[in-house]
Amino acid sequence: MHLYYGRHGRRAATAAAMAALLLPLAACGGSGKSAGDGKSITMWTFKQSHVKPLQDAAARFKDQTGISVTIQAVTPDDAYTAKLQSAAKTNGLPDVLEVHTQGEDFVYGGAGLLTDLSDKVDASWTRGMVPSVRKAGVVTPRLEAASKKPGSAYPGVKAGARYSVPFTIGTFGIVYANKAKLAEAGVSSVPKTWEDLVAAVKATTKKDKRKGGITVGLGTASTGLNWALQPMAFGALGKAGYQGLFGRDSGKTWASPNGQKVLSLYDKLTPYWAPGAQSLSIDAADRSFAQGDAAFDIGGTFTLASLRQFGMKPDEVEAFPIPAPKGGKATDRSLAAFSLTSLAVTTQSKNEAADLKWLRFLAKPDVAGTFAKAATDLPAVDLGDNPVRVVGPTLASLTKVFSSGSQVYDPNDTSFMPAQYPANWEKAGAALVNMSPLKRSSPRETGKQLDTLIKNYWAAGK
Amino acid sequence: MASLSVSKTPPPASAAPRATPAGSTGSTRRGPRRRVREAVTAYAFLTPAVLLFLALGLYTLGYGLALSGATWNGFSPEWTWVGLDNYLDLLYRSPVYAPIVRSAALHTLVVMIAVPLLTVAISFPLAVLLNNAARLRTMMRTVFFLPYVTSGIAVYLAWQYVLRPDGGVNALLRALGLGTLAQPQGFLGNPATALPTVIVVMVWTAVPVGMLLYLTGLQSLDPAMLEAASLDGAGWWRTNMHIAWPLLRPITAAVILLNLREALQGFQTFLVMTGPEGAPGGKTNVLGLQAYHLAFLEQMQPTLGLASALGWLLFLIAILLAALNLRALRSTT
Repeated sequence: MHLYYGRHGRRAATAAAMAALLLPLAACGGSGKSAGDGKSITMWTFKQSHVKPLQDAAARFKDQTGISVTIQAVTPDDAYTAKLQSAAKTNGLPDVLEVHTQGEDFVYGGAGLLTDLSDKVDASWTRGMVPSVRKAGVVTPRLEAASKKPGSAYPGVKAGARYSVPFTIGTFGIVYANKAKLAEAGVSSVPKTWEDLVAAVKATTKKDKRKGGITVGLGTASTGLNWALQPMAFGALGKAGYQGLFGRDSGKTWASPNGQKVLSLYDKLTPYWAPGAQSLSIDAADRSFAQGDAAFDIGGTFTLASLRQFGMKPDEVEAFPIPAPKGGKATDRSLAAFSLTSLAVTTQSKNEAADLKWLRFLAKPDVAGTFAKAATDLPAVDLGDNPVRVVGPTLASLTKVFSSGSQVYDPNDTSFMPAQYPANWEKAGAALVNMSPLKRSSPRETGKQLDTLIKNYWAAGK
Repeated sequence: MASLSVSKTPPPASAAPRATPAGSTGSTRRGPRRRVREAVTAYAFLTPAVLLFLALGLYTLGYGLALSGATWNGFSPEWTWVGLDNYLDLLYRSPVYAPIVRSAALHTLVVMIAVPLLTVAISFPLAVLLNNAARLRTMMRTVFFLPYVTSGIAVYLAWQYVLRPDGGVNALLRALGLGTLAQPQGFLGNPATALPTVIVVMVWTAVPVGMLLYLTGLQSLDPAMLEAASLDGAGWWRTNMHIAWPLLRPITAAVILLNLREALQGFQTFLVMTGPEGAPGGKTNVLGLQAYHLAFLEQMQPTLGLASALGWLLFLIAILLAALNLRALRSTT
């Protein structure tokens, strides 16, 4: 078959071929841009469990204001980061972002991608929040000074700027126990000390060797360190002793008697890790616990949402904070609530007034309460004296672990650590995983490795 | 007759049609115009591809090379130029990154040796067997090629499930009375078996292509040569090992090169099966995975330059290996 193309036909064919090649390029931007008419805005989140509750809130928001909000989730975290990097470059950022507080907000804010909300988020706005998080997201002078050092993760931040508003709060170091497995193993009370916890896990493991252990997503190596060892170490050594582990005085660091004491205590868990915990991601560990593959799961207040997502009912679990060891210096230690995620307005948004209305709407007590109950996540908004009425008994019980004062372990306080350490603690976590559960190193060797790492970070910060 | 007389009488030189290079008899005035038009059309079709190459090829290469000399977190408006510091930090200078890179390089080296060798060791015999199979050859070829066409994230996730402590492999071993070989922590959870297990999965993915290449090679060999060897008394083993194998050396080189490249730069198998930190405890961290980690999983520290530098180091190693491989191939053929 012969096809005849005239001169114009060939030109048309050429143009069509070029258009066919170039059009898909134009279509693969994945932009979050909205119209800029103030009537519709777009919001991106990295939490799948927040999507539906946010969409429900958006429906109410539209009824009240006529402004529609499109919610999009991008998961997991590395995909979210990559998506934001490309969107920032191509002027395709959405109007509103959900970010990790004192993480992405500072990075994006310092890069000029987020609007400084310091003159918009006034006392009338923050008054309704939990007191400990009211200033979360505000750049401190110390952070600005640190941001000017080489290798800082937050170059460009300005003291006093607020790049985000707290949205959800919580803390690390919460243990979830399967009530049925506890009962089967004859464990009748919630562990009050670290030794009680080890004994309880021993009992459940004895009852069911394969599915009675304790799990946490050790595939992300920092979880064992941040969520279990550190809160326990605070309880064992008290605030000063705990902070000394990360200091420059070798008489107080991980290889010292203090460090060896807490590493040895942590090592007592080694025989009782659920099989394969060392290769599980955080989500996979939560899923395995929800499916009955472990009797205990270590996480944070946010873990309850995951467990529910994986089919476990909140009343099937007992939740309690990582306990301090017997005779510890801070046995009455409690946990500080800190802002986990925040909301930010991008500088590429042309709907700033509508964005702020949306943020303010989400900070209303009734809206925040409804969101929290649906998302099984604690809101930054103060739930008042009767949180049970607002978010239900299990979620409300998590708020009981929060406190403030000198004996409070605040996972978010890294002021005594080398500046680069918090962004690199998975490297310290890997050393800990090699000790427990992998049994590849002793507490003594692990202490030396941790000290070397921390010493290097101190040296790098000079 | 009239026509014959016409043919014998040469036409005037000025009226004779000039032969074009293509043998056509088009007019001298239309030829160049047509050639120009054809050239324009050709360039018009080529332009999108050239533009795409410039945009997605040269630009990104140049961008990546420049980035390897800077520190940047992916968001800041400015890069901080550090020259060759990123390369030096990765190679020996940084007490934070150099030990991790060294450990990842060791794991990568193991993968680079094991995957190509095992792929060749399995693909060639498999291809010989398939080549000699009188029956069901097409069906068996399809079955053996299945791992390649089904490869992807879903398959790696499936492997992950099969290799779990309560997964299919352990269950099978226990059912066969080989419980001592079962891994209570899962094949990916035991530091001693994690890397070998991923290597096995990589080989499982690579064998189909290797086998197909060998099969193509075997079918292109001159049957007379094999027949002559047979008449001279060479058995099955000698025919394959002393005649077919040396003749297929270029294919072996190609299989090795393909798998070296995958072993050196590929990281998706590790990312899906053992996570971004190369669990357990970094025992399956390889250089490709480390580059990905530096780019996207360092909590937005300014390590994109380190990631890029590591990518360029991998590129240099790949070029070196390709050159060595080609040289080895040239010296033996």
